[in-house]
Amino acid sequence: MGVSEDQSQPHKSHRSHKSGAKVKKNKKNKEAASGDKKQNPKAFAFNSSVKAKRLQSRTAEREQRRLHVPTIDRSIGEPAPFVVVVHGPPKVGKSLLIKCLVKHYTKHNLSEVRGPITVVSGKQRRVQFVECPNDINGMIDAAKFADLALLLVDGSYGFEMETFEFLNILQIHGLPPVMGVLTHLDKFKDVKKLRKTKQRLKHRFWGEVKQGAKLFYLSGLIHGKYAKREIHNLARFISVMKFHPLSWRVAHPYIVVDRFEDVTPPGRVHENRKCNRNITLYGYLRGCNLKRASKVHIAGVGDYALAGVTSLPDPCPLPSAAKKKGLRDKEKLFYAPMSGLGDLLYDKDAVYININDHLVQFSKVDDENGAVMKKGNDRDVGVDLVKTLQNTKYSIDEKLEQSFINFFSRRPPTWLENDVDEKDDKLKENDNGNLNISSNEDDEDLNQVQSMGSEKSTVKILGKESDSDYSDEGEECDDERPPALSCDLKEEVEFHNGRIRRKAISSNSQDHNSLEESDGDGDGDEEDYDDGDGDGDKEDYDDGSDDNNSDVGSESSDGGIEHNAKWKESLIARTISRRNSNLMQLVYGPTSESAVAEEEQNSSESEASDDENFFKPKGEREKKLNHKSGSHVNLEDCSKFINIQLKDWSNEDLIRSIRDRFITGDWSKAAQRGQMEDGDNDESVYGDFEDLETGEVYKSKPTDDMEGNECILKEDTTENEDRRLKKLALRAKFDSQYDGSELSDEEADGGKKKKYHQSQANEGGYFDKLKEEIELRKQMNLSELNDLDDATRVEVEGFRTGSYLRLEVHDVPFEMVEYFDPCHPLLAGGIGLGEENVGYMQVRMKRHRWHKKVLKTRDPIIVSVGWRRYQTIPVYAIEDINGRHRMLKYTPEHMHCLAMLWGPLAPPKTGMLAVQNLSNNQSAFRITATGSVLEFNHAVRIVKKIKLVGHPCKIFKKTALIRDMFTSDLEIARFEGAAVRTVSGIRGQVKKAAKAEIGNKSLKGGNVKEGIARCTFEDRILMSDIVFLRAWTQVDIPRFYNPVATALQPRDQTWKGMRTVAELRIEKNIPIPFNKDSVYKPVERKPRKFNPLVIPRKLQAELPFASKPKDRPAQKRPLLENRRAVVMEPHERKVHALVQQLQLIKNEKMKKRKLKEQEKRKAYEAEKAKNEQVMKKRKREERRERYREEDKQMRRIKRKTGV
Amino acid sequence: MAKTSYKKLKGSVHFRQRLVLATLSSTPVSIEDIRADETSPGLRPHEVSLLRLLEKISDDCAVEINETGTKLRFKPGVVMGGKHLVHDCGLSRSIGYFLEPLIVLGIFGKKPLSMRLKGITNDPKDPSIDVFRMVTLHMLKRFGVPLEGLELKIESRGAPPLGGGEVVLGLPIVHDSLTAATWVDEGMVKSIRGVTFSTRVSPQIGNRIVYAARGIFNRLIPDVHIFTDHRSGPSGGKSPGYGVSLVAETTTGCLISADSAVCYSQGDNMNAFEDSEEKPELMPPEDVGVQAASMLLGEIEQGGVVDSTHQGFLFLLCALCPPDVSKVRVGKLTPYGIETLRHIRDFLGVKFIIQPETSTNTVILKCVGCGMKNLSRKIT
Repeated sequence: MGVSEDQSQPHKSHRSHKSGAKVKKNKKNKEAASGDKKQNPKAFAFNSSVKAKRLQSRTAEREQRRLHVPTIDRSIGEPAPFVVVVHGPPKVGKSLLIKCLVKHYTKHNLSEVRGPITVVSGKQRRVQFVECPNDINGMIDAAKFADLALLLVDGSYGFEMETFEFLNILQIHGLPPVMGVLTHLDKFKDVKKLRKTKQRLKHRFWGEVKQGAKLFYLSGLIHGKYAKREIHNLARFISVMKFHPLSWRVAHPYIVVDRFEDVTPPGRVHENRKCNRNITLYGYLRGCNLKRASKVHIAGVGDYALAGVTSLPDPCPLPSAAKKKGLRDKEKLFYAPMSGLGDLLYDKDAVYININDHLVQFSKVDDENGAVMKKGNDRDVGVDLVKTLQNTKYSIDEKLEQSFINFFSRRPPTWLENDVDEKDDKLKENDNGNLNISSNEDDEDLNQVQSMGSEKSTVKILGKESDSDYSDEGEECDDERPPALSCDLKEEVEFHNGRIRRKAISSNSQDHNSLEESDGDGDGDEEDYDDGDGDGDKEDYDDGSDDNNSDVGSESSDGGIEHNAKWKESLIARTISRRNSNLMQLVYGPTSESAVAEEEQNSSESEASDDENFFKPKGEREKKLNHKSGSHVNLEDCSKFINIQLKDWSNEDLIRSIRDRFITGDWSKAAQRGQMEDGDNDESVYGDFEDLETGEVYKSKPTDDMEGNECILKEDTTENEDRRLKKLALRAKFDSQYDGSELSDEEADGGKKKKYHQSQANEGGYFDKLKEEIELRKQMNLSELNDLDDATRVEVEGFRTGSYLRLEVHDVPFEMVEYFDPCHPLLAGGIGLGEENVGYMQVRMKRHRWHKKVLKTRDPIIVSVGWRRYQTIPVYAIEDINGRHRMLKYTPEHMHCLAMLWGPLAPPKTGMLAVQNLSNNQSAFRITATGSVLEFNHAVRIVKKIKLVGHPCKIFKKTALIRDMFTSDLEIARFEGAAVRTVSGIRGQVKKAAKAEIGNKSLKGGNVKEGIARCTFEDRILMSDIVFLRAWTQVDIPRFYNPVATALQPRDQTWKGMRTVAELRIEKNIPIPFNKDSVYKPVERKPRKFNPLVIPRKLQAELPFASKPKDRPAQKRPLLENRRAVVMEPHERKVHALVQQLQLIKNEKMKKRKLKEQEKRKAYEAEKAKNEQVMKKRKREERRERYREEDKQMRRIKRKTGV
Repeated sequence: MAKTSYKKLKGSVHFRQRLVLATLSSTPVSIEDIRADETSPGLRPHEVSLLRLLEKISDDCAVEINETGTKLRFKPGVVMGGKHLVHDCGLSRSIGYFLEPLIVLGIFGKKPLSMRLKGITNDPKDPSIDVFRMVTLHMLKRFGVPLEGLELKIESRGAPPLGGGEVVLGLPIVHDSLTAATWVDEGMVKSIRGVTFSTRVSPQIGNRIVYAARGIFNRLIPDVHIFTDHRSGPSGGKSPGYGVSLVAETTTGCLISADSAVCYSQGDNMNAFEDSEEKPELMPPEDVGVQAASMLLGEIEQGGVVDSTHQGFLFLLCALCPPDVSKVRVGKLTPYGIETLRHIRDFLGVKFIIQPETSTNTVILKCVGCGMKNLSRKIT
């Protein structure tokens, strides 16, 4: 800071020169002060306590936001390649980007991008590029396996809906890191516009993903490729990307299929092209460990049990661990079998090495079959090989036939397929296996088929592995080649569809193979379960099954003696596993067979004994059976083990034998025993084994036990030390990784230190403790399983993540093979416990705010939950305040609601995504709703409101009989006590069905009508009242679900499922049903006519005056009083006339006055109007003046501000 | 998918394990040939009662039994749990028979379970209710089951043949999953506790049992407390019986139990002695005490962190853990334990590594859990 200030000083002084001396002086003072402060360590301390507090709370808040519950990462070993999904709307440059990235990593040109492409990107990292297909199904699947999403955006066009849709899908299925890439930026001619667009798009992207999300700009094409520098930068960002585990994926194994084969026996396909196929799927296992007997869901196809899982050597291994900088060219492997471009193709038992034509220098150019050859570093061998191949080319047919015979003779026994041993697994090519099986049925057919199909022709052993492209590097290659190829390789050349493939088989496995085969041939097929020590073990097993628990210890020791000689030669670990498997075999049986098979075995056993004991009395036989086989089918189910024969514990010897098991015994001895155990616990790598050995050797002299232990322990100290160090290293690595992920990248060292202190203070140790626990657990898992051999390990924990697996699936619809499109990556996801069951799920969901319409109950939607996509019919509901789930006809506009779905169950918290339309040419936003699974619940009732309406048919005082409300007495019985109400608001209650005698019989004599209810009300109701009963009725949720099998049809075709009612109506041209009563129309109410109140005259007479009716209507006939004639006196007449005259005068006067007044008013009005007009005129003038003035002023202001 | 595929099993053996594992792994099972060739074929009353119990605590659970009862189809549902449930366990097996599956299922339920079970509390065949209270429930906490609401209350005791006992079981639920346990250090026995029970007999019998049992323990350890629980009146059930349950606690907190009970046996024997008009001789209380004590010492001698009765339970808990390594030490494997291991393999796909340790004559079992989660719990 200070340095930069010093440098910029001359400029500053130069500028400030204008401001005058005072300013200069001030500045000088300031500078002096800052200079002082520079030395002051408290320079940046807070001056204001409020500010300090605010800042502190802000940092604390940020800290807390950063924290998340640590999750255990159970993956061991090297991780699977990270999947980078490249997504974007069509014609945006996805394939080109992948091509450029692959070129950057491997220096290979890809002609086209089909299927996943695995690339070794660094010493510790592999990347798998997948291009996301453009349809929504493909996008959903791709979002489920993406570890990193590159969103390509056409910069010249702007964002398209696909990008936002994909982002939404990603968010639902666990949000992996997302990077944006802007392409087509060379379309901008105007630099300013380009900059503006970049800015705009960046901010839009930030708004969608997060503030500061990375957005790359690929400025344009150079020679049809993106600029090298930009690709380099992008690659750098991809390779430093950190991935955090996503909860769904951590709990489920899954495979992104990068190779797909149809392994149906060709005969079957010949017979019926539409027969169900057997397929194999290859790919890296991700997520969690995969158990052998698990089910997978192949996205777009369905659920299948795995017919076979084998682990293959990694086709694209990481380079050896040798310390060096960067990758050698040879280690820059890439593997893309679907693109057909990888150098290496791994099969179940072989490695196919594919070499480009131009690299083959010494084969005949015109030779068709020799085209795929390669040049070896060992010239002589390679040349020999090629020469022989070229020579033998013309006798292929003979070779084929020969090999066919070989093929049968070296048929490995069928049980091998199930064998756990990895090496054994490599032996058997799957095609062959299938052919074998079918060959038993008809040999002759197969002869032809096989001679047509792929065959082996020559088998050669190469002294040295010779697959490198560069002969000059040959010498130094030896130690650097990838581990999978490092052993001596045997080579088999195979003609496959007119192309030579060279199958490289490691020699030791080959040896093993031949050995096994000879064994198998000698013994027959299936008897021999464990090749090496099978006999002894089997005997053990037989003995053990008699009474398998009483002599466990001694038996195992027997086993130990048996293998004593072997143990000295073979690996220790191997021996351990064998010994362990002794007891394990007793428990689990000799092979890992399925439960059903075992059951069958049991039953057959019992049958056999049935025959034997046919004539014995029933109870006797049973007893014997019980005695013989511990697992008799009808044994009593009792966890208590009663058959211990009791010892007499008053015996002194016996007491002595268990004395040390009590605290009153010898503590030191017990402690030693405990210590020994502890030692085992800590370093259980070989500890157990040693114990066993000593236990055996010193059995006769128990006092020497300790000594023996000690000396052996001493021997082991070096080993222990090594192990301890390794553990420490692991721990350190773990720590560093963990911290790294915790802290953000930009932190410098000092910052880190500070952070550390802060976090210690803030987290209060809880997070540390959690992390510690997790780390301990992980280390323990590692150490406990370390001493097992691979086979047992696979059995115990399943196939490890990161291993390359081959899954065999049987009986897949032929459409899958027929319509298989490598551009649509296949996803095979493992199904957890209980997830294959179908049931009701409750989902909390919300209509997507960009979707235009609300959703209607019972309109089918396509749902993506877990691995699956399926169509289902939801019923929407909302939870009322009393816990009732009330059905909604439509989803709320801006609120979450509950949806009840029928479908394959997904565990709670799983994200759910709904789509209504899968078609591509739909312009609007396709994602309809999003949500998450709450629970699976069969008991939840969704109810809707129902009103039962009835009319009174007879009214007693406060009781009425209501008809039309119910249809039967039984129904009434159901509703007894229910509240009813009339429209006028009188409340009541349903009592009982009306009895005949009460008033029901009046209905046309004879039969009593059913369904008339007796109700009581709080007041007497009218016959004209309508009575209604409000109730809730359960809505049944349709049990419908339809898997979206998009992989079973041409990919460009839109999948069609159940249509919505609206769609059907439009299609069939059916009008919307119209209920006349539901239409709102103006309410016409006739004025109510009341009859006049008639009071009988008698009553009227008696009434007091106040109550007597007084408003008598006018009489038509004048009253008698008025009708009578009046005769006046003369005086009276005079007076009357006078009065009349006076009246007349007065009237006349008034009339005149009125007229006058009227005239006056008129004049006044006229005057007023005149005045008004004048006024108006004047006012208008004034206004005009004023406005003109204002306008002028405004204009002046504008002009001022404008300038 | 439309049709449920049933896992086919045979015979009535290990009925409880099969049902429990079927429910936990939600695999429908069909069991055939249930005592098909016996004089009284088909399911026994206690098995039917167990099925009823499962139906009671779970939702959408479908049970189909054929006419003779030799064939059963069981489609498990979601375990619901709930309060104030009552189940009559019947008189053919004791409550212990029902408790073992109930405890495992209950902790994976939607709601905490509290249930009143009626029937026989103590009998010679099944682990007594005291053992459950003192040992089995304490095993759960090793696997991370929350302790709140975990209780077993004995309201009244009932001995066979007429029962009349009543217990109230309270079980919490597992919030996410169990935690894997490493439990290999059995330690040294530091104290012995126990409870005798006596119903409808002389209250002295309890003391006589205690006296006899102590006589054996006294030479080994002084810290022996055996309580007597004498019940009379309605809380004593309907039949006479007495027995003792003993628990040895070790320095590392392991609990090793043994129990024995004496009572008039059920069923056919009842008729027998009714005919002969005299009751058969029962084992004297002193012998019961000695027997139980010797059994306990036998269990202690075998080593292992649990006794032989709890092996199956222990293995099941280990297998239900998240995919971490659990490691336990047991004495000799019992047939029940072995069969449990096999069933765990068949249903959950979890295989144990079984290593004998000859120096201590124990067996160490390791497994990677199946990753069972409490899926039925509602997310709020």
